[in-house]
Amino acid sequence: MRSYKWAIILVGLVLGIMLAAQYRVTREIQANEVVQRAQELSTQIEKLKIDRDSFQKQVDELRSQLDEVTAGPQVSEIKEALEHARIEAGVSEVSGPGVEVTLNDSSVALKPGQNPNLYVLHDEDILRVLNELRAAGAEALSINGQRLLATTEVRCTGPTILLNKNKRLAPPYVITAIGNPDILESSLKMKGGVAETLQFWGIQVAVKKLPEVIVPAYSGGIRFEYAEAES
Amino acid sequence: MNKSTYLYITIFAVVVGSMLAMQFRTASSDDLPVPFDRLQELTIEKKQLEKDVNQLQEEASDLEAKLEEAMISHAGAAGALESELYKIKLYAGLLPVVGPGVEVTLDNPSGAGLRYGENAGYIIKDEDLLRVLNDLRGAGAEAIAVNGQRILATSEVRLAGNHINVNLTRLSPPYKIIAIGNPGTLKSSLELKGGLAEYLSEQGALVNVETKEQIRVPAYDGSLRLEYAGPTQK
Repeated sequence: MRSYKWAIILVGLVLGIMLAAQYRVTREIQANEVVQRAQELSTQIEKLKIDRDSFQKQVDELRSQLDEVTAGPQVSEIKEALEHARIEAGVSEVSGPGVEVTLNDSSVALKPGQNPNLYVLHDEDILRVLNELRAAGAEALSINGQRLLATTEVRCTGPTILLNKNKRLAPPYVITAIGNPDILESSLKMKGGVAETLQFWGIQVAVKKLPEVIVPAYSGGIRFEYAEAES
Repeated sequence: MNKSTYLYITIFAVVVGSMLAMQFRTASSDDLPVPFDRLQELTIEKKQLEKDVNQLQEEASDLEAKLEEAMISHAGAAGALESELYKIKLYAGLLPVVGPGVEVTLDNPSGAGLRYGENAGYIIKDEDLLRVLNDLRGAGAEAIAVNGQRILATSEVRLAGNHINVNLTRLSPPYKIIAIGNPGTLKSSLELKGGLAEYLSEQGALVNVETKEQIRVPAYDGSLRLEYAGPTQK
């Protein structure tokens, strides 16, 4: 009976040591340089995002303060021009009637041998939808809360799209456009139009007319590095 | 059962246990490291955010200065608003700008002098133009114009017969796209292997990309159509 106990103690000891060693190895892996660097970057990015948002808020507040302190008939003309320019530049939040277009990857079950690439949304598809909406007189546009500027690109990177340089969006993509809801809707839904072509590939397109939609302001700074005003 | 049986069991268990542990160790060390492109992505994102924060900081101090000026007098207020309007108009594309960049020429092939295999009837479509614009934007273009039509956030590019409409204005080929930005980056974004320039020339279009030290992108000269959109009331 005694030797039985000893054997158990021995096994227990060995197992315990092994476990501890195992634990240390995984800890070492987590402390691996690349992983550590990624974690570090992620925390820095989170911090920067908070910074950006607070500066953005400050800028927004300063803009409205500037509007408030300046009053009087002589500046009302400038203020109106400023308001329009801000909408066109994408630096102010706007609202109005419009449509909400939801695009999602294909729901078609692929048969073996079919090219799955044909059945997912591409940047081109989104570009075309945006272009149709612009042609139908959309006055302000956003995708998944990202305001579209004159310099906004749409890029496919794997299953996500990238726009405004570093904003990564995942499907479903919701495009919000302000304009005449009927014209906007029919521009997409007309026969032989974008919605029909996309539906052929099984890509889901839903257009919803709304009496009031909000297109947010561009979040981030705008500054030209190369272009300057003509003197 | 006697002592030696327990001893054998113990030894067996120790061997099996250490084998398992070794196995586990090698297996787990393989799949944990982060792929390098993820690091690259994070680095790019961080850089862009730093730029954003910087620009916003500048914008804030600029606005603060204007606010101060506006508080002093009526004339100051008008002046501050005027300069703010100027800045916003610059961003919106309502003022002409100059800078280094590229000039991209797209043309339909002429019927004469076609070699074997060349596509005689290729017509540059709105999609081709859209993709060129998108590539240029992706490469950091700050101001773009097509045949003198400034591209705004709301500019459309639509095929209408043999022409393309931009800003409700009819343009005919050759299409001359002028973009301000880093000339090298803009040029290579179009000319990279398997890129748009290669694709379009293969289709039969005539593509030419030239870097320019100084080019001018005109302002949008139409009127802003803002019937529906208005600032959100807070």
